[in-house]
Amino acid sequence: MAEIAFRNVTKRYGDLVAVDDVSFTVEDNEFFCFFGPPLSGKSTILRLILGLETPDRGEVLIGGKPVNDVSPAGRNVAMVFQNLALFPHMTAAENVRFPLVERRVPAPEIGRRLAEVSEKLHIGHILHKPPAQLSGGERQRVAIARALVRDPAAYLMDDPISALDARLREETRVELKRIQRDLGKTLIYVTHDQEEAMSVADRMAILEGGGIRQIGTPVEIYDRPASAYVARLLGSPTMNILPGTHAGSAFEAADGAIRVADAPAGAMEIGVRPENLRVEPWTEDKQGRPVKVFEVEPLGGYTVVTLESGQSRLRALMRGQPDIRTETMVALSCDPARVHFFGQSGGALGR
Amino acid sequence: MSSIHLQNLVKKFGEFTALKTMDLVIEDGEFMALLGPSGCGKSTTMNMIAGIEEPTSGRILFGDRDMAGVPMGGRGVGFVFQNYAIFTHMTVRQNLAYGLRMRGLAKSEIERKVSAIAELLQLSPLLDRKADRLSVNILQRVAIGRSAIMEPAIFLLDEPLSNVDAAFRAVMRTELKHLQRQFRQTMVYVTHDQLEAMTMADRIAVMDHGVLQQVGTPLEVYNHPANVFVARFIGAPGMNLLKGRPAERDRGLVIDLGRLGATQPLPPALAASLRNHGREVLYGFRPEQTLLSAEGRGLRMPVDFVERIGARTIVHLGRDETAVKAVFENDVKLGEAVTVSPAEASVRIFDAATGTAIRAE
Repeated sequence: MAEIAFRNVTKRYGDLVAVDDVSFTVEDNEFFCFFGPPLSGKSTILRLILGLETPDRGEVLIGGKPVNDVSPAGRNVAMVFQNLALFPHMTAAENVRFPLVERRVPAPEIGRRLAEVSEKLHIGHILHKPPAQLSGGERQRVAIARALVRDPAAYLMDDPISALDARLREETRVELKRIQRDLGKTLIYVTHDQEEAMSVADRMAILEGGGIRQIGTPVEIYDRPASAYVARLLGSPTMNILPGTHAGSAFEAADGAIRVADAPAGAMEIGVRPENLRVEPWTEDKQGRPVKVFEVEPLGGYTVVTLESGQSRLRALMRGQPDIRTETMVALSCDPARVHFFGQSGGALGR
Repeated sequence: MSSIHLQNLVKKFGEFTALKTMDLVIEDGEFMALLGPSGCGKSTTMNMIAGIEEPTSGRILFGDRDMAGVPMGGRGVGFVFQNYAIFTHMTVRQNLAYGLRMRGLAKSEIERKVSAIAELLQLSPLLDRKADRLSVNILQRVAIGRSAIMEPAIFLLDEPLSNVDAAFRAVMRTELKHLQRQFRQTMVYVTHDQLEAMTMADRIAVMDHGVLQQVGTPLEVYNHPANVFVARFIGAPGMNLLKGRPAERDRGLVIDLGRLGATQPLPPALAASLRNHGREVLYGFRPEQTLLSAEGRGLRMPVDFVERIGARTIVHLGRDETAVKAVFENDVKLGEAVTVSPAEASVRIFDAATGTAIRAE
């Protein structure tokens, strides 16, 4: 059992509250991601789990047992190499063995672990080769095998693939997730890349200033963000969040380019995901008012269109390669069921 | 004229050839991205344009002026690196003004230019802040501003956004493109991120292993990749490529996908080019142009893995050699296996042996 939980944990460094009354439970075998900007508390949470820090208040539990007084060595959680690069002068086998040799694990045990992890990752046939003779994909698997060759109750990873090229990152994150499923181990993961977080996490916690703002599956958080802060962190391009005004029961934003008939009382801002913003050529019979196309960015399968309306800039994500030109006028609309409203303090409002 | 001409350009470091015979013309006022994985030769090319490295052979011309022997300072290029070079003890204003002061411009002129560039890069409220108190995001913006304010005819950027966070990167992409459009400098932008190249560049030069693979507009390289490297590298995810053979059937020439046990129809123009081909080919189609078919013709494949990333759902089908990716809208419902088929117009064929695209006749 490798359930990992915090109960009202607070950690201070002098005046700085690094972790502020945090509670969560990471289930056994779960891929759990902490996501937030720099200094939001991600690394301190990892250090508290590892036992490198002791909470000022609250309790850390591993497998249901309080471990506040248990040393890092006694906790059986492993921090994985930050960098998935291989040692070029060692064979694949030597690379994989390295963490065990370094920890003076007995030779027969090393042999057993190596065989086990090689089988799971299908690298048995390439173990004798140096990294230079391996393909990109093989290198990745060897690096992951090295990361996972120890047999702890849970793994912690701190931004392990951030140093890779964009394309390799997309492939490695899928590989990591597959392997975690195959191994059936609890994995706590920290990343600064929202796309990576959404791709790998079973559930995730969104952090701000040492506190947890929302916990849920990536889909739940993306579709129903608890606040404007959370809404901005996930999604690319980010959600359009615009201040607006009530006009009777309707709500208007971006100089009237966005208008929703029915808004909750107390709404200060309206949020629309770029993929939920409809862009059409302007014609006289359209509702609302025309807005100007500021920029068109083709991604191939999608097109990002940046629009200018008064002081506001909005982004729309359109499927395919639509024929839209900069400096032309277009009509904007959105499905009222797919907009978000935020109140005075940025909290999401129900409808 | 600030066009850049690379003619038979070669760069070797001892035994290692970093760049093999590169020919490329970057037009005056053009935004050109040099795109490829680590070690493809893109930074080496950039460094030779800047004058940091000397070519082993070949020529570099700015307009009709040969740059051989012209030092970096004499080339009139602006350069922004991945790791911004900012004077941390100075304010943003002092950093922006630095180059103009060195050049001996009048104070009023410097002030005018600093506020104009600060406005453009949204640095106005930060002008009097000390640089050591600013985030990485803002520092990179200052670095770009400091180079741009000199109004160089040629602006070189080497992975300027790789250290800034994802949300900010998206904003900076739009701004950089807009900045270039306003000043109309010749811009050369080195990146390993196809998304940056696609969204900003007028044209992209795709490189691999020191060889220029293809030059074209973003949509040209996306829609008509010259070879399998470009097909895989451009797009997120890259193009699906399945081994197959042209085969004659009642309904015309098809691609027999062998191990997948399916035959796929071909658009007539492509069928005409392939009629006498006979050899093994790679059948290519884009994940975003892969359709879910409820029944009937297509590739029936097991769902291996699903990534729901915001607006998109990337579905990984099959494994290894026969793996296919498809991108759907985020509300798609999937069973354990699905039948997919590419939109016919999106099918591309490559020679399996050479990797070169076979064009429609």
